[in-house]
Amino acid sequence: MTASTTGAAPLERGSRGSRVVVRVLVATALIWTVVPLGWMLLSSFKSTAEVTAATPDVWFGPTLDNYRNLFGGGNNLWPHLRNSVVAAGCSALLATALGALAGYGLARTKWRGKHHLSFWIISTRMAPIAAVVLPIFLIFRVLGLIDTLPGLVLAYLSFNLPFAIWLLNAFFAQLPPALEESAQVAGCTPWQAFRHVILPLTRPGLVTTFVLCLVFSWNDYAFALVLSGPRTQTLPIAASQLVTQTGIDWGQLTAIGTVVVVPMMLVGLAVRRWLVTGLTMGAVTGE
Amino acid sequence: MGELTMGSLTTGPHRAERSSGRRIRLPLPGFAGRMMAPGLLVLAGVSLLPFAAVVVMSFSRVHLLGGLRLEGAGADNWTRLFTDPDMAWAWARTAGYFVLTVGGEMVLGTVLAICLWRLRHGRNTALSLLLLPMFVAPVIVGLLGRFLTDSTFGLYSWVLGQLGYHGDLMGDKTTAFVSVTLMDVWEWTPLVTLIALAGLTSVPSSVLEAASLDGAGLLRTLRHIVLPAIAPVLLVALLIRSMDALRYFDIIWNTTGGGPADATKTASVKLYETAFRFFDFGYAAVTGLLMLAVTTVVARYFVRLLDRKGLAR
Amino acid sequence: MGSPPPSSAPRPSPPLSRRSVLRGAAAGGAMGLLAGCGGRSDAAFHPDAGPWRRYAGTTVNFISENTAPTAAIAADLRPFTELTGIRVNIVTLELSALAQKVALDLASGNGEYDVVYADPYQVLAPYAPAFADLREFTEDPGLPRLPGGLDDFIGTHLDAAGRFGGDGKVLALPYDCPTMVWQYRADLFKRYRDRMADDLGFDPMPSDNTTWEQYYAIARWFNDETDEVRYGTGHQAKQHDALMCDFSNLLWSYGGDYFDGGRRVGRIGTLDPGPCRLDSDAAIAGAEFYQRLLKIADPGSRTWDWDGLGAAFRAGRIAMCPNWHEYAASNKAAMPGKVGYARLLKGPVRSAGMYGGTGIAVSKVIPERRRRAAWLFVNWATTPKTQLANLASKVGGGTPTRTSVYAMPRVTAAQHRPSKMANMLSADAVKKTWRSDTIGLRPKIPMWAECDTAVYTQLSGMLAGDASPESAMRAATSRIDRIVARGG
Repeated sequence: MTASTTGAAPLERGSRGSRVVVRVLVATALIWTVVPLGWMLLSSFKSTAEVTAATPDVWFGPTLDNYRNLFGGGNNLWPHLRNSVVAAGCSALLATALGALAGYGLARTKWRGKHHLSFWIISTRMAPIAAVVLPIFLIFRVLGLIDTLPGLVLAYLSFNLPFAIWLLNAFFAQLPPALEESAQVAGCTPWQAFRHVILPLTRPGLVTTFVLCLVFSWNDYAFALVLSGPRTQTLPIAASQLVTQTGIDWGQLTAIGTVVVVPMMLVGLAVRRWLVTGLTMGAVTGE
Repeated sequence: MGELTMGSLTTGPHRAERSSGRRIRLPLPGFAGRMMAPGLLVLAGVSLLPFAAVVVMSFSRVHLLGGLRLEGAGADNWTRLFTDPDMAWAWARTAGYFVLTVGGEMVLGTVLAICLWRLRHGRNTALSLLLLPMFVAPVIVGLLGRFLTDSTFGLYSWVLGQLGYHGDLMGDKTTAFVSVTLMDVWEWTPLVTLIALAGLTSVPSSVLEAASLDGAGLLRTLRHIVLPAIAPVLLVALLIRSMDALRYFDIIWNTTGGGPADATKTASVKLYETAFRFFDFGYAAVTGLLMLAVTTVVARYFVRLLDRKGLAR
Repeated sequence: MGSPPPSSAPRPSPPLSRRSVLRGAAAGGAMGLLAGCGGRSDAAFHPDAGPWRRYAGTTVNFISENTAPTAAIAADLRPFTELTGIRVNIVTLELSALAQKVALDLASGNGEYDVVYADPYQVLAPYAPAFADLREFTEDPGLPRLPGGLDDFIGTHLDAAGRFGGDGKVLALPYDCPTMVWQYRADLFKRYRDRMADDLGFDPMPSDNTTWEQYYAIARWFNDETDEVRYGTGHQAKQHDALMCDFSNLLWSYGGDYFDGGRRVGRIGTLDPGPCRLDSDAAIAGAEFYQRLLKIADPGSRTWDWDGLGAAFRAGRIAMCPNWHEYAASNKAAMPGKVGYARLLKGPVRSAGMYGGTGIAVSKVIPERRRRAAWLFVNWATTPKTQLANLASKVGGGTPTRTSVYAMPRVTAAQHRPSKMANMLSADAVKKTWRSDTIGLRPKIPMWAECDTAVYTQLSGMLAGDASPESAMRAATSRIDRIVARGG
């Protein structure tokens, strides 16, 4: 089935003791991982008084008030949700598309300075956000991109594109060039060979790249804070707005946390199989 | 053993060079260039220009009042770096934070991956649940951490209270530092697990078969066979994590804000504060460039290591 | 495996690939085209309409911290839109995020925000020249009159939140006014009054003459003598703006201050405050007392900003604390009838309560007519009628900044229980604090954010045991001097 179920047989003949240790470790890790998220989900259905009760309470009358307050009334969350979907989605799509082209080009070029080029590409992702965001703001101001969705998409590309090129380049690099070569012998143009032979083979890589880029841009806070305006605020910005001078409404905050987190988790889990193969093939070839 | 080639950026298609005969027409050299052009142009636009601006800013005083303008300041910002009494400490803390978070994530992630790999039942379910934190926005991780450790109503404070610890996690310098470290570990260990597990599943079973026939013990098998086999993948994980570990400030900023007594003020928190609380963009540019330089050196080192590992196999 | 390559019609390679490159480039270029639509137009103008309706059809952007009056106004903007035909977009942010957005908006001349919530220290002082002098609107016959005039605003508020420098300009109208007061569990004080009086040798009931030393004694008494609360006092002593606020009350009451002529620097503001005076004996004495007080306070104090402190108080952990008076509303919801409010305590020299009020201002980076439309909102949002409506609002409240509102019979009545306007329960305490000799005003200087950080960072070190009060104050002084010398 998946790559994750193959090739594990021999070590499983470990002693009983070691099997118990493994189970205990995994169980501990599960508790450590899931409790904060579960508590957030649970708290989002509590009333304000229950959320900040001194003794944690698991039995309570669940209420949808927090969600109702988020999507109705003063702070309507729908526009934020739409902005997040559009900005993160477009940026991830563009990054994957451009990353596939550039990653393939990079994998097949014979240019000598290639190592430097590829290191430069990945080093652009290391730039500290707080330092570069002012120049980006000024450039966007000149281009009229402040408070626009294309502006956010472009800003997200600054960290998504290097990642996409890097990951996808790894995929293309491990495909033998003989594939395209034979396609071209059969009469394909290089573009056709890329489009019809290479791309289908890298589907796990494309999906992995898209999803990780989607997650990175959906979760961005620093760029959106500086570059968005009244019309383009995203979900993480909405979350930070709930920290106010007159008190943090933890009920609403846990609710918005849930709204921010759940879509990415669903997307991530839907492609979990691909993530494993995606990252394996990107990193290691062989057998 | 199967051929194990790092498909990382730096190695490139070795096989391509070996197997391509002269008689087959290769893609035109220009084709690769044209494929790269759009991506590289966009990347240059969103990175080279801002980078140049940051370099210029680092030699200027940036005035916001009365319309933004730069005033040449020579090396003032740079010399300040060496007279700033708080800077050295910020970097010491950053080093500690980096080692503890990235190191912790690597160790825990690998251990967890090996455990999952040896798990006979429920591996996929467990993996799905264990992956969840890496999809959570860092700003939410920070706020959630604050929620869980609040000394009045936090779940974790309550649990610790039941266990007999009545201190305040975020009030003490050591525990505050450990807490923000653990939050980062919570969020990013899953990524390492995912990558390590991906590597483990591609270790050929024949190798392991041979090892267990030899009667090699579990630990020895792990140490001499499994770990070397997945070392390159682990390096990829290490590289990905070390690129981001220095940059992110969302978690610390949203929980302790750098306190208490500056115990959690890392370079990235200091950078954010200098830029967007003090609006001292000249000095922020210096701090940012220094961070970029450090990250680049670290990443470069790992890439080199990766090259050697990849080629050695 | 992928599908086999299409075998039909082998064609020479270049055309297709060139097209693909063009397609790629178009994807990148499209964003450049979409970008063309930046910049905001000037306001609509109808010269023949009445003064409130001349700018109907305009949209005004208001950027605000997420405070009580903004929550109340955002919840019901209909009256304003019906009155003026102007739509209002409200962007609410946390204060540091707000300062960041406003700074970039003003500096770049972007002009996205028409009305700005101008925090006196982080926004008004550093960017004073970027705001319109509101007197030009109050004196303009073409614009609606400001009800009650500028004099209706409480004097200290108008100076502290509305002015910067001595040129008489009014840059913002006082919009909210959180002020630190002594919040205490009236129920516990009442129950233990006699026992405390016997044990301590003075009447513990809060009065204008109660001192910080007595506060300390009361806090200890609660630590030792009752189990109803875990600690007597709690504080907002996280490494955060809150710590500076909490400490400043002590600093002033001991006769210390940040700069020479501190009250003027606080009330009117200046570009050059001169040398820092945190190393004075009075300031160090204040710091020593603060350290002593925090030793007997709830240890959670070091993790709380004002919000954490408020939650701890409402949860019944502590018997009293200094905190913003606007928490009265949430206190009432959590423990109705149990909380009392008094002016902050007296030190050896005076009593001082930190004032944290803010005004709303009109940006000067926007076109002329747009400014007038923005003024209509500023005018309306601070009218007695709106302030009264805010007080009664379900979603928050906010407290009036106008004398005339406090004189309304409905409001006077609400100062006593049972009250429909919870914040008015603290009105007596804040009105006493707002007098010019008791109001606590931090320095209004352009570089305050950085000085503030130096102060609370050193204090946090002091509380963690890294430094003595004296060395903390000296370190803060040398840092502030350096920051001020560098200029804003």
